[in-house]
This record gives sequence, structure tokens and C-alpha cells, in this order.
Amino acid sequence: MSLGAAADGRRRRAIGRARAQGRVKATRARAQGRVKATRARAQGRVQWELLLAVATVVLAAWWMRSGPDDTGTRVKLAAIAAPARSGDSEAARAGAARAASGASAMAPLSALGEAQRREQIALWQGRLARAQAALSAYQIAARYPHESRPIEEHPDQVRPFAPIAEDRALRMPGGSATQGVHLRTTQERVFASANEASRITLTLQDDNGRALPLRITRAVLHEVNPPGVAATAPPFNVPVNDDGANGDVSAGDGIFTAVMQPAAQGFGRFAGTVRLKLNLEYAGQPGFLYFDLVYSPEQAAQWLPGVREVLAKGSLDLFIKAQVRLPGRYVITGRIDDAKGQPLALVNFNGEVGAGEVEFRLPVFGKLVRDRQPVFPLVLRDVEGFLLKPDTFPDRVMLPRLAGVVHSTRSYPLASFSDAEWTSEERTRYLTELGQDVVNAEGKLQQLGP
Amino acid sequence: MKTAKRILMSLGLAAASVLALVAHATNYSLWINGRTGGGQVGNHADFTYWGPATTSAGVNKKSVNWDGYNRISSTNGGIRDALDCYCTGTNWCYVAAHSAGNLQIGYALALYGTSARYKKNATPNASGQCGNADGSTQTGWNIKWVDVAGGAAGGSELADSGDWALSEPLVSDLKTSTARAMYNHNSTSGKWFYMYAGSKGTLYSFILPGQDDEAIAYHSSGGVSGSSGGSYCNPSDWWCNDLTTGSGANEGGRAKWSYHSVAFRDDGESYNHYTNGNWAGIVSKVRADMAANAQ
Repeated sequence: MSLGAAADGRRRRAIGRARAQGRVKATRARAQGRVKATRARAQGRVQWELLLAVATVVLAAWWMRSGPDDTGTRVKLAAIAAPARSGDSEAARAGAARAASGASAMAPLSALGEAQRREQIALWQGRLARAQAALSAYQIAARYPHESRPIEEHPDQVRPFAPIAEDRALRMPGGSATQGVHLRTTQERVFASANEASRITLTLQDDNGRALPLRITRAVLHEVNPPGVAATAPPFNVPVNDDGANGDVSAGDGIFTAVMQPAAQGFGRFAGTVRLKLNLEYAGQPGFLYFDLVYSPEQAAQWLPGVREVLAKGSLDLFIKAQVRLPGRYVITGRIDDAKGQPLALVNFNGEVGAGEVEFRLPVFGKLVRDRQPVFPLVLRDVEGFLLKPDTFPDRVMLPRLAGVVHSTRSYPLASFSDAEWTSEERTRYLTELGQDVVNAEGKLQQLGP
Repeated sequence: MKTAKRILMSLGLAAASVLALVAHATNYSLWINGRTGGGQVGNHADFTYWGPATTSAGVNKKSVNWDGYNRISSTNGGIRDALDCYCTGTNWCYVAAHSAGNLQIGYALALYGTSARYKKNATPNASGQCGNADGSTQTGWNIKWVDVAGGAAGGSELADSGDWALSEPLVSDLKTSTARAMYNHNSTSGKWFYMYAGSKGTLYSFILPGQDDEAIAYHSSGGVSGSSGGSYCNPSDWWCNDLTTGSGANEGGRAKWSYHSVAFRDDGESYNHYTNGNWAGIVSKVRADMAANAQ
């Protein structure tokens, strides 16, 4: 029962009581009856005061909720709240426009009012489009769970271990670039732990891709510390060569190679960024370049052999095993290809685990299989992972990369998989809220008229 | 006198009831700053970084201030605190980010966006942390969409080349290779990132590839995927691939990050990177969008 209905009920009962008392005792105490009637009126007044107060505060709260930035919305809501008879859209529009323009409810729609109505329509059309886009995107995304996504949603995650290739200018910081030449570089990885290394290559080319004679005058690896924090290890001179050895693939091809391996270069106890600074020269023109490697000396976990697979609830769960030394939140990501090598899915685990032997679940969602109809057996490949440390730097301790095929599944008939969409409280929450936004915007546009 | 007292009491009771209703479901507009910062960390009413706090910038706007200097990972807790405060329970958020604020919201969503979050009461303390609403949790945050002005989630060549102070911790994160490897930029949990890309850059055009806003090139502000940057331009530039509007692949075929859409490409080369303490530059476009649609 609403507050208003309850108050009405109480008021009616009070008046009823006063009338009954008046009838029974009319001959005996008319004056007393008047007193009671007066009390009843007083009670009624209290109820009206309460109603008035509630109405006032409701209006004030509505105004507050709109917020200080929301003048436009208040006008719009006033427009929507304008009285309109059922089926009388002209009256509704006129009322809305009058409310929007602040004009008297009886005044005809002014040119200004009409212009404001048009403005409101345009605004709400924009809001409707935005609400529809948000709903549509979420509907598409929420067909599958976060942990099992179509690979095409992750275009730059298909080949995670490919070196990072960049094209840079030959120049000094703050200086101009040498024209007609390009520094082409690759970097094997950005994050490393324990004994991991990152191979760097660089070559200078002209506009036609021909290698140019480049001289590396200095190559130093050092810690990067916040200002005022002293380095814990001395800088290390890194060999950079094009002689076909020490990581360099081919001698004399103009592609120079350096290897950043903090644990082997004096930084085995350092956690943070190690930076390789290179000073270069070509035809008397100097250049500068640097590469960062975010390094942690820790070992968070070690992979254990074997992957367990379970077909359950219409999906295929792959359990990859590890011996966890450092408990915490682990982020593990793998790729699923079909038997023809066609990329299918990005699967991941993001959750907290304790120390000890752990299985990270990488699910291949049933509907994804049903929708894409891959050729079995499926392949799990290129698995990467790290311990995510909150609110600190470095924020992760990498697990060794598992490059290439990690596991091949058994073959399953397509019918083994469920074609049901993902369900969860989160999904319901989002679809409800975003759907309501669409309904609200549509409703407001309808009330504003064409 | 008694009547007045009664009215006041009634008002008090009614106010309490209605405020409970108001607290029931509220939309907020969260603004996450970029490099340099300026607003007081933890003070969600301080819009110093952006411009006058009186300017309309979305419903119930909050300034999620971080220092704009230290690493993303070590400062992201403050962003997550704000998301917990305003974007859990029955409350929902719109998010606007500028420059490195793009890395902040992207990092939070990609790495913590599916974690269990305590539902909060939207009443922050001086540190910007809110109390629990009822002790229950939910998965992820309630975010409707994200607007990004001059987004630096793809890094900047000004960090690559040593033109920005290499001793500054955040500059290390803004290196293109590092920014792009920091997290999976496609993982937004199905929330749209609307990208606003300015191109009024001239000073660093020989360093920043393609079109830029003087700090960030289109490959980043337009949400172009990949482990490194690239040259992307307005259609008027014939010597460079177009950054396309919308969410489709760019000219040349390179995709945008998923759930990223170029909402504004600065074909008129009119918007630079800087707010100038007055919601200026490319932020002006996002502010206008937030004022219109974040309600």
C-alpha cells in the first residue's frame, strides 16, 4: 500500500468515527460533537500536511537526483511529465513543449517552445542510439562467457609470441629525424621473470628497404628507478653484433642483435624495468634508441606436465596444471585452434589460487563450438600467464611461455556441446539495466512526438 | 507553532524515506585524468585537471584523480576504488578518460573487470574509498560505456624517443610496446569504448606517425590494435592509411581493438591534446558527449 493510500484510509476512518459519534450523541453534546469534528478535521489536516511534505520532498529529491549538471535533463523530465490525455498526442506534445519552454500550461506552443522540443527530440534520439548500441554490444558479447571468447575478438592476441616490430626515426631526443632512413626494430618480449631473456634486433634501412651501414657506439643495460632511488646493480655493457653468433641469426645482413637477460647480466635481484640504451650513428648522424624489459626475479609458479580435459555441462574444460609457489591472482591465457589450424577461441583464467598444485581451467564454451563448428581435435597452443600483483610495480611475475601446441583434445561430436548462451547474474544485471535505458529513451521520444 | 513542527517532522521523515529511494539507484559520470594529474588524489570533487567544476560533464560527475606521474599498476588501485564506490550495487557509471586515463580504465577492466567486487555505498572518505553497502559482492563493475579523449592506451612515440623525461615512471608505461603489452586491450567485457581522436598536432609531427594531437598519434587515440603503433590519418591525407570512424577495420586492414569505436576523427585538425584547465582540446568533444548522453 502506498503512503498516500494509507493516509486516505486513516483520514476516512477518522471522519467516519467523528460522524458516528456525532449521530449517537447529537442530542446530548452538540458542542462536544463539534469538538470531535474539529479534532477529525485537525487529523485530516495532519494527513494533508504529511502528503504535502512528502510531495515537496519527492520533488526536491528528484531535483537533487538530477544533479547540478543536469539542467537539460530536468527540462526534459519536465517535458515528459507534462500532462497528456490518452490518445491525444498533440496535447502531449504541446504540453511537453510548454513544459520544456517554461511557458504557461494554457499558452499556445511558441516558436521557442517548438524549437526546444525539436532540440529535445534530437537529444533523446542520440541517447536512444547510444543506449541501443550499449545493449546490442553487450548482447553480442554476453553470448559467451568472459573466459571463452571468439578469437576474432582479439585480433592482436592470435600470435602472442611474435616479436614486437617497430619502425622508428633515427634521431636524438629533441632533435630532428634523419630523412630517408628507417630504424626497424624487434623486441621479443616486454615482461620477463627469473632467467628469461628478450632478444632485440635493429637494422637501418632506406626507403626501399635496403640495409644501411649502422654503427652502434654504445649499448648499456641499466636499472630504471624512481628519482632519488639509487641503482642496486651497476650498468652492463651489452654486446650488439651482426656476426651470426650470440642470438644473431645471420652474419653480415645488417640486422644487429642484442640480448637482454637481467639474471645473467647482474640484475638477478632487481625487480623493475631494466633499460637497454643504444647510441647509434649513420653517416655522421647520431641516433638514440632504448628498449625496456619489465623484470621480476621471482618464480611464481611452474607448469606441470599434462592437461586434463572434461566435457561437462555442454562445454569442454581444459585444466592446465601448475605448481604454485606464490599464491594470488593468476591470469592465464591460451589459444584454441581446430584441427585445420583455424583459430577458434581465446580462453583464459583470471582468479585467485593458493600455493600448491593447481589446475587452471580454460573453458571452450559449448555455444562457441556449436556456432563455429570446428574440426576436431582442438588444439590448445601458446599459453602465457602471470601472477598479478595489485597496486605495485612490477605488477606481475611471468610464468614461462608455453609456445606451440600444449594439448590436443579428443574428438567429440558437435551434439555433445550445448548451444545455450552464457547465463549469469552479471549478464542479467546488464541486460536488465541496458534494456531499461532503451525503453526509457523510446518512451521519452514517443512522448515528445515526431 | 505545532503545525510548523509537524510539517518539519513530516518533512524529515519523508526526506529520509526519499533519500533511501535516491540511494537506491544512481548514475554517475567518472572522469579519469591523464599524465601530469593536478587534482587532489582521493577528492572526487576536485576537477582542477579538467576545468571549472561547474561545467556540465555528465550526471553526478566525479573526478577520479590520480597523480598522473607514477606507474599505471601502482596507481590503479585508486581507479578501482572509485569504480567500486560508484559502479556497484544498484549504481551505474559512465566513464570518461583522457590520455593515460585510457590505460587506467583499460587496465582495470581487462585485469580486474571480472573479479568479485564489494558493493559500496558511494560515500567516499578522504582517500576516495567507500564503505561496504551490505557486505555482498558482485562480478565486475556496472559501466554502461566509456568515452576516451586522446587515448594513450596504445602509447606515444614521444615516450619511445626520449622526448619525454625518461626518469618519469609513467613515461615508461607510455612507451608504445609497453602500453600495448600491459593488458589485452580487447577485453572490455562488452563495453563500448568511444574514441575521440584529435589531429591539431604540428610540433611533433616528425616523431608521431600519421595524424596526432601533439601528444598522441591516431594509432592510439583511434584504438588501433597491435603490439606496435602505425601511421593513420584523415581521409584528406593520400599518403597514409585512413583511421576509419566506427568500429570497423582501418584502411590497410588493421583492426581496431574490439568494442572500440572511433566516435570522432578530427578531420578539421581543430583539436589538440590539452585541456588548458578549461575542458579544452579533444576533451571538449568528450565533455559535450558526456553532458548530452551520460544521464
